[in-house]
Amino acid sequence: MYGGGYIFDEPDRRQRTEEYEHDIPEKLAEFEARIEGGEKIEPDDWMPSEYRRQLIRLIEQHANSEIIGALPEGTWITRAPGFRRKMVLIAKVQDEIGHGQLLYNAAETLGKSREAMINDLLSGKTKYSNVFNYPAETWADVTVIGFLIDAAAIINQVANSRGSYGPYCRALERICYEESFHLKQGHEAFVGLAAGTPMQRRMLQDALNRWWQPIMHFFGPPDTISAHTEKLMQWKVKMASNDDMRDHFLNDYVPKVWELGLTLPDPNLKKNGETGRWEYSDPDWDLFFKVIKGDGPCNKERLAVRSWAEEHGRWVRQALMSSKYRRHAPVA
Amino acid sequence: MNNSYDPRVKRLTLKDANISLREGEHWNIFEVFRQDKRGARHVHVGALHAPDPVLALIFAKEQYGRRKDCFNLWVVCSADILAFNDEDSDVFANNREKNYRDASGFKVRDKIEEFRKKSGNIKK
Amino acid sequence: MKSTNHIKDLITKMADDELILGHRNSEWTGLGPILEEDIAFSSMAQDKIGHALALYEILHEQFDEKDPDHYAFLRNEKEYKCCHLVEFPIGEYDFSLMRHFLFDYAEMIRYETLANSSFEPFRLLSKKVKGELKYHTLHAEEWIKQLGNATDESHARMQQELNHCFPLAAGIFEPAKEFESQLMDEKIYPGEKKLYELWLDKIYSVVTQASLNLPDIGKVQPVFGGREGYHTEYLQLLLDEMSEVYKLDPGANW
Repeated sequence: MYGGGYIFDEPDRRQRTEEYEHDIPEKLAEFEARIEGGEKIEPDDWMPSEYRRQLIRLIEQHANSEIIGALPEGTWITRAPGFRRKMVLIAKVQDEIGHGQLLYNAAETLGKSREAMINDLLSGKTKYSNVFNYPAETWADVTVIGFLIDAAAIINQVANSRGSYGPYCRALERICYEESFHLKQGHEAFVGLAAGTPMQRRMLQDALNRWWQPIMHFFGPPDTISAHTEKLMQWKVKMASNDDMRDHFLNDYVPKVWELGLTLPDPNLKKNGETGRWEYSDPDWDLFFKVIKGDGPCNKERLAVRSWAEEHGRWVRQALMSSKYRRHAPVA
Repeated sequence: MNNSYDPRVKRLTLKDANISLREGEHWNIFEVFRQDKRGARHVHVGALHAPDPVLALIFAKEQYGRRKDCFNLWVVCSADILAFNDEDSDVFANNREKNYRDASGFKVRDKIEEFRKKSGNIKK
Repeated sequence: MKSTNHIKDLITKMADDELILGHRNSEWTGLGPILEEDIAFSSMAQDKIGHALALYEILHEQFDEKDPDHYAFLRNEKEYKCCHLVEFPIGEYDFSLMRHFLFDYAEMIRYETLANSSFEPFRLLSKKVKGELKYHTLHAEEWIKQLGNATDESHARMQQELNHCFPLAAGIFEPAKEFESQLMDEKIYPGEKKLYELWLDKIYSVVTQASLNLPDIGKVQPVFGGREGYHTEYLQLLLDEMSEVYKLDPGANW
């Protein structure tokens, strides 16, 4: 489902010197020219170690976000009201797992195994999208997630799909196709509640109020306080600035919320007629960093549940482990 | 008992995450090729983890064949794929110059026109 | 007018089995033993819920029953006709896989015979779900065979769950007290006894290839009662959970 709010590694100095010793200037120039010319990088190509490291980080966080993101919505799988909602929700959560599968493959082409990635997720070494550390308290939460968070994710993923790494772009092509189903179903369910009974509208408004701050956090800290990403933008790893994506989202989706007579809990939210940019209250970035560090309402539960799945599936996996087939990372 | 909002999760006995997976625990890796319809070619669509080719095919059916028309799938162990190294891609470099292998390298219209001009009144 | 209670009873028990097991199996979505299997198992859960919907639609369209949502989400527990096998919580993956294997073979055989039913909607449905059921049984068979033959632990787990599930699975074939002979006379379906025999033949061959042993068939006490509306303690809890949102306002459009 979701990219958004990535935390890129700040390259530390020592590591950087070591890396640059291994990076060959002519190769680097060729690599950068290739990206500049709009070509994709493939798994066996030469690439700077910093590019490899940041890409693994990016794709891995994205993959983590998919399989953890399956949990807040999964909260309502057994309670979805009626056949249609029930089948749609199962199919959607299934897609998130499928996206995780595709993205872990893409990251594996860069040399990190899925096992290592899951270990790092469970130990807290790598992150996932912060938004999934909040609970889905009511059915209406599922419609807010399915509409607005998927919408935000699509903006991020469409941008990333124009990036430089071939396997990631190919995975995103399929993911974006499936996300369009997610967004449509999310919008339909959202409008269903908005146009429904007074009780349904209250549920929806309550969910919107609770999710607005996490949604504003979704694209990550403002550009003024984000880690330096010029190199990553040049290498087409990071494709758009956090603030630009947030503005794009507000521009496309705030009107779609307002047209239903719903409100958003920010009195300062408005489009500036002169600059054409959206203005909003500061969405408390201290809280954002606090939640990323593990202190959100659901961090513990999310990791404990994923850990349960890995632990209880272990006997199944171990029973069928075999050395009969030589292991090799996905080829493309 | 935990305080999850998810009744499914409430039924699980949760512990703090402390499991560590072993390399290879997620099985071997297979490439998947998809044939959309009878007569179409198989196209590479991705990879998956499976213990053997039979389960790989069974998994591929849902991960790569659950949407849109699909007629068949192939799975093959990733380790069995042989390809050129990136730096050897120049083995293909002169393909375009070797136009004697390509239909575009054969142009007879000019010759015919010249011949017709020379020979005078040939009926068209 | 000719009574149709016998067909309605048959459809209801088939549909309730599919709905409740589909619901149970969907609980694994996001929690499966490996991502690839998570996806496959989730698809099959969706298929089951889809089969239930198709059957409730027949009830609604041909027999004037309430619409599928209403019928599936709002009946009293006693009005459900599912067997006990499908009601149990998902447990560990060994239980869920064994239940999937035993149930899906029973389901496949039932739908195969319905290809020759005198009741046209059954013939159409039988044709429609054939491919899905083929995949479900292929999936189940491969898993049972591989785990049965893999390690001591996996073999022991599979054997234990086979022993545990078998009487419950035999309960799938509980005859409809009132209606059985009428359904057979009218060639709606071949009857539970016949289906049970066909099922035993099929699973026997897979179980053997999995190096597992079927319990002594003569001594097995099938777990009956579900078809008469007597259920395990788990069904009411499941129904309360399933209809929690729907019941907030059954008249609303969700």
